[in-house]
Amino acid sequence: MPTIAVDDEKCPDPLSCRKCLLICPTHVLGLGTDVGVRKYCETAPDHFVVRGVRFDMCTGCMDCVEVCPRNAIQVSFNEGGAR
Amino acid sequence: MCEWCEKYGGGYERWYFNPANYARRLYKIRKEEAESLGAEANPQEAGGMAVVGREFLEAKDRGDVATVERIKQEVEAASLVTHFGQVLTHEEALRIVDIMYPIGLMTCACRRSMQGLPDEENFTCMGMGVGMYKWERWPDTYRGGVHYLTPDEAKEVLAKMNKRGLVHSVFTFGTPYLGGLCNCDYPDCAAIRTVVDLGIKVLWKGHYVARIDPELCNGCASCVHRCQFRALSFIPSRDKAYVDQFQCFGCGLCATECDGGAITMVERASLPALANVW
Repeated sequence: MPTIAVDDEKCPDPLSCRKCLLICPTHVLGLGTDVGVRKYCETAPDHFVVRGVRFDMCTGCMDCVEVCPRNAIQVSFNEGGAR
Repeated sequence: MCEWCEKYGGGYERWYFNPANYARRLYKIRKEEAESLGAEANPQEAGGMAVVGREFLEAKDRGDVATVERIKQEVEAASLVTHFGQVLTHEEALRIVDIMYPIGLMTCACRRSMQGLPDEENFTCMGMGVGMYKWERWPDTYRGGVHYLTPDEAKEVLAKMNKRGLVHSVFTFGTPYLGGLCNCDYPDCAAIRTVVDLGIKVLWKGHYVARIDPELCNGCASCVHRCQFRALSFIPSRDKAYVDQFQCFGCGLCATECDGGAITMVERASLPALANVW
C-alpha cells in the first residue's frame, strides 16, 4: 500500500479545490478536518485536510500528484510495487 | 428473522415501522452514550468518513486474519450500539415518511468528504426527528442548513433519489433510535463501501431479495448499472441479467428500473438459505 503525504500548508481550501478528489479513478482520497466538529462553529476552509482513505485501492497512477496546483501531494510505494 | 425486528419491532411488521423507534425519549439516551465515547469517535474528523483506518487495511493486505477479525468485531459491535443502517425498498422508504417527524433534507457528509461536493448539489440525506432541530447548534454537521419537508414533499424527493439510482436506508443514532434516511451510492457512501469492500457489517441487508424472471427478462441490461452492491451481472450466452441473491441487499433499484416487470422483490424470510443472510 502507498504512503500518501499531504502538505496541509500548501493546501488551504481543499473543499473548494477538490481536484485531487475528483481525478482519482478509484476514489482513494477523502477530506477530514484537523479540528473536529465544534458547537456553534462552521469549520473554516483552512481546517479541511486531504487524507488517504482507501489506501488499498490506490494504483499508483500519480494523477492526484500531477493535478495538484500547489504540489501538495506525494505518493510513494515501498519496494517499487503495489500491494 | 431480523434480530432488530425481533428486539424492537414492538408488534409492527418491521422495526422501522414502529413509531416508538423515532421517539425523543430514545434520542436522549443516545446522546449520553455518544458523548461518553469521546470526541475522537466522531467520524467527521477522519478523512472520507472512514469507518476503519489504515491499521485494518494493512492487516488485510498482509493476510493477518486475527487482526482483521478483531478490528471487524470491535467496529461492528460499536456500530450496532451507536450507528448502523439497514437497506429499504422504495415502498418502505415512502411508508417511513408518514411515521417520522420532522423530516429534514440535509447535505450528505459522506459525499462532502469524498467528492468535496458543494452544499447546493448535496441535499440527498434525510434527517428525521428531534435531531433536526439542533442544526443551528452544530453548523458543520448540518452544513448547508436543513430544509424541512412535508411528507408529500419528502415522497417526491425520495422518488427523485430512486430515479437517480440512490439506495434508501435507515440509520440508527443510538440503536434503536432511527434518525436518518440515507440515499447512497458506491463508493462514496462510507457504509456501502465498508460493507461491500471490507465485509464490515455497518449496513445490513434489507428484508427483500431481487428475483429475475428469465421469461420476462428481455436482456436490455438497464438494471445492471443500478446495483450498488455488486450483486447484478449479465450473462451474454443467455442474454439475461443475473442476480447473486446471496449478495443482493434488497434495495429494489433494479426492479424499479425494469420496464418489463421481470424483477420482483421477494421476502428474504421466504427463502430458507437467505432468511438469516443479513
